[in-house]
Amino acid sequence: MTMTTAADRPPARTRSGAARLTGFIGWDFLRTVRMFSATFFIVFLPMGMYLIFGATSGLSDESLGAGNSSAFVMTSMAVYGAVTAMTAVSGSAAVERQQGWGRQLGLTALSNGMYMAGKTAVGLLMSVTPVVAVFAVGALTGAEFSDGWIWPATGALVLLGSLPFALYGLAAALLFRSEAAVSVASGLLVLLAFFGNLFMPLQGTMLEIARFTPVYGATTLARWPQMEGHAIPLGAEVPAPDSLAAVIMNVVVWTVVFAVICWMAGRRRTAR
Amino acid sequence: MTANPAPTIAPTRASASPALEAKQVHRRFGSVRAVDGVDLRIERGEVVALLGPNGAGKTTLLDIALGFTAPSSGTISILGRDPVHAVGAGHASAVLQVGGLLDDLTVAETVKMVAACHLAPLPVDTVLARAGLTALAGRRVSTCSGGERQRLRFALAILTGPELLFLDEPTAGMDVRARADFWTTMHAEAERGRTIVFATHYLTEASDFADRIVLMREGRIHAEGTVAELTASRTRTLTCTWTGTDAEAFAREHGAQVVGATGGEPTFTTEDSDALAAAILTTGVGHDLRIARASLDDVFLDLTAQEQP
Repeated sequence: MTMTTAADRPPARTRSGAARLTGFIGWDFLRTVRMFSATFFIVFLPMGMYLIFGATSGLSDESLGAGNSSAFVMTSMAVYGAVTAMTAVSGSAAVERQQGWGRQLGLTALSNGMYMAGKTAVGLLMSVTPVVAVFAVGALTGAEFSDGWIWPATGALVLLGSLPFALYGLAAALLFRSEAAVSVASGLLVLLAFFGNLFMPLQGTMLEIARFTPVYGATTLARWPQMEGHAIPLGAEVPAPDSLAAVIMNVVVWTVVFAVICWMAGRRRTAR
Repeated sequence: MTANPAPTIAPTRASASPALEAKQVHRRFGSVRAVDGVDLRIERGEVVALLGPNGAGKTTLLDIALGFTAPSSGTISILGRDPVHAVGAGHASAVLQVGGLLDDLTVAETVKMVAACHLAPLPVDTVLARAGLTALAGRRVSTCSGGERQRLRFALAILTGPELLFLDEPTAGMDVRARADFWTTMHAEAERGRTIVFATHYLTEASDFADRIVLMREGRIHAEGTVAELTASRTRTLTCTWTGTDAEAFAREHGAQVVGATGGEPTFTTEDSDALAAAILTTGVGHDLRIARASLDDVFLDLTAQEQP
């Protein structure tokens, strides 16, 4: 009926849902990895910090819980990389959508559900990357756990603890609607990491406050197989250990807090 | 003033299902009636301009046609199908208004990434060539000009060889040269038999390029037809050298209005310019008559003027 020419006709063979999803994930992962600022904070900074504070410090071989102090720092840095990755990926996903990229993809055969699944996969891939990188460097430079199973268990707990930070990044994007806000949120993670007992052991009042900050939950959870809630003793004072229930409570409460902020910010957007 | 009856044209080509068929489509956002009862039928192969002031409901209507927004009531079908399916299958696509591109990708990467999300995309090189982007393939989107970005959005829109193409203010932000180039490309697409529906507030683009113009106002279709049809049924303006006494009174007497006067030359508007001219000449109150058919600008200005309560 129409005068459509042969060159205009798309190929008869159509691409499957799996092909479209993996194509999208591949491109989106490549984009994220290629963004130097993101990759630097997510992969190279944790690796570098591990090498400086974990592998080469004088105490690296000292036994600590079910491992040594190198392993302790390794886990910490993996947590930092993973939460930063989650924040960055979910935050920029939200900003992209707000800027109309979601509408552009809405004109394709990639459904909303596939988009969400794809972005989740990219977030997980980006979070796995620093874990694998830091663990690999750790294994090569003397990080040790007393049992083999602690490696995968710790890795899995790092990823689990980083999940709420997908909501943290999303909240920043929904509240301030800019790529800069997402960068600030990622940057703030350095501060939250200090307050979360991640970079250096805290004590006294600081530690009491730290127990209620979001990174503390993710960090203590990831260290659980090695430390089982025990903190590093500093001097004479030996901080009381955390209970697993308290740690899980921290993660759950912050997940809810971030989710509520996202929900309210989202509502504010649609209300106008 | 009441709206003139909307002139329509007969479908140029019979077809099993039209490119677009909207029946009593409404869309409300809270108390705002963005689209307020649109009936519209666009045949395959037609080039139609949606013309109207800002806030007339053009973008919302296009969003409904693309499946981004569901109508509050009424039905719309695209190529005989539900909009979401027609778009998902790549049979209908759109050049979206500003935004919607990722700055960190290159031009070619953007096309490849979007192609990866389609069911049956055309070869990327073909699409880049047709959009005039071959030379810019390796350029990062962040360094592209407004016109170049628009060509990229166009490339993404034709990636599946869609039968129906929507363009939402496609030349906004382009300079004169880029705008001319863009329409040259669009002419080529129209000649391929594509149905093209574009929203604009540039009157010349609508009159130069469209087979048919649909005038929207306050969420409704105000009038539709070709430029000739839209202007034919409208009032004429009549200007003359005036020798009579009270032009206003004379106008009232003959069902006309004085809309302006310069240097003793009043300008009348009237539905029946022949009768007014005859009256002026027979009573001798004026001479040197000039009668003009309303231009599309007048139709449009008339349309926007009615917005003020």
